Amino acid sequence: MPNTAYNIKKQICPLLAPKVRFIIENLPDELLAKTEEIRLRHSRPLIIFWAGGESYLGEKGPVPTPREAYMASGEDLEKTLELLSSYSLYAYEEELRQGYLTIPGGHRVGLAGRAVVEGGRIKVLRDISSLNFRVARQVKGVGEKVLAFIFDRRMGRIMHSLIISPPQGGKTTLLRDLARLISEGAGILGQAGKKVGIVDERSEIAGCYQGVPQLDVGFRTDVLDACPKAEGIMLMLRSLSPQVIITDEIGRGEDVKAIEEAIHAGVSVIASAHGSSLEEICQRPIMGGLLQKNYFERLIFLSNNRGPGTLEMIIEGERGLPLYSSRHGGE
Amino acid sequence: MYLKFLGASLIIFAAYTYGYSISSLYRNRVSQLKELLLGLEMFLAEVNYGLTPLPQAFMHIGHKLKEPVGKLFSDAAALMQKSRGLSARECWKKALKNNSGALEFSRDGMELMDRLGLVWGKGDKSGQLRQIALIQELLRQALREAQNEYQKNDKMWKYLGLLGGLTLVIFLL
Repeated sequence: MPNTAYNIKKQICPLLAPKVRFIIENLPDELLAKTEEIRLRHSRPLIIFWAGGESYLGEKGPVPTPREAYMASGEDLEKTLELLSSYSLYAYEEELRQGYLTIPGGHRVGLAGRAVVEGGRIKVLRDISSLNFRVARQVKGVGEKVLAFIFDRRMGRIMHSLIISPPQGGKTTLLRDLARLISEGAGILGQAGKKVGIVDERSEIAGCYQGVPQLDVGFRTDVLDACPKAEGIMLMLRSLSPQVIITDEIGRGEDVKAIEEAIHAGVSVIASAHGSSLEEICQRPIMGGLLQKNYFERLIFLSNNRGPGTLEMIIEGERGLPLYSSRHGGE
Repeated sequence: MYLKFLGASLIIFAAYTYGYSISSLYRNRVSQLKELLLGLEMFLAEVNYGLTPLPQAFMHIGHKLKEPVGKLFSDAAALMQKSRGLSARECWKKALKNNSGALEFSRDGMELMDRLGLVWGKGDKSGQLRQIALIQELLRQALREAQNEYQKNDKMWKYLGLLGGLTLVIFLL
């Protein structure tokens, strides 16, 4: 994926403090291409993480021990934060409260520092001591297989679907690709695409920067960025007339109500939830309640058994019939 | 006779111009401080109502203000947008240096300008507004002082130039 190396150099490097930028820019492309995270921690070694490993970075490239690595200084962190926020921390209060920023290219930067709490809620994060750059990568085509199972050819509609996987299982990547395929009208749909509405509470699906999706989510897609799911779904229904609503990580009572509302309004819903098995997810009070109502016609299970986004199983929601299982190798 | 008259007028004109140029330093200082205060007022509005990021806010302010203060903001914005890894303070300092020839601030005024560099974009919204309001207060004080100095020195330097020229002419004649 040489593209990732290019994206890191063009989109992430300009936002790093000059010393760190120099180190990252001079890394070999092969290493950058597989980089998933770049971590800066105050007075601790600069590290990059990649699938299945990590590298300590010295001033001249990877070094074998953390002791030889470049130690990020307070100035590095402060400068990086300034560049990340375009010199305007005041414009990113909400993001600082949530603990992450999205930058051009849809990459996300996680923050840790001292939390200022007011009325039991985090008001803002101060004295930022850790920055974690998570490199966004779009894997186009991962949704094609799943789309075949969730598209009702007879009715020409997308079925209500719930994607379930443990963290890092590829839920968001799948949601993003499904949004793109449905919106653009992929071959399997055999028709023009549908109007898709993404309620992207954590800016993960579309990776919006200043409201504009940085990742390809299709040209018939509207994105409500950083919007609470329940409110966002209602807003979508009222004003954007979507045919499919896509949202991630549902789990709160109000999310469930909004999803019910959308389903009753005749809009297809594709959502995701954390979990590793049907039993586990059924034990969660809110999700269990939602599943008992049999709203979801398809339940899609992912895992990272053979890399993130491994499609484990697709089951039919109402009767629990398996439609696909990786163990049996197909339908 | 004509030549003497011409020479005398030239001397008086030159001396008056010299006096006038010194008095205009005081006048410019006042107008630049007023312009800067106006710029800070605009910045507060940009932050308060639009949460506009610093480079864009500077660009807007730079377009609206008169030179050289307007140029100071535009230059700082341009440096920030070049994304060369400079901090807001470094961009502001560079812009100040680039425009130092045209800016007529006193030494105290320049110190305040430096201090502004430390403040830009720092803290959350309320923190930023408070810090700018504080600098505004100090600048208002500097403006009052500059106005007093202007009133004291404006006429003095103009007369001094004119009278100096006349004295020289009388002496030469």
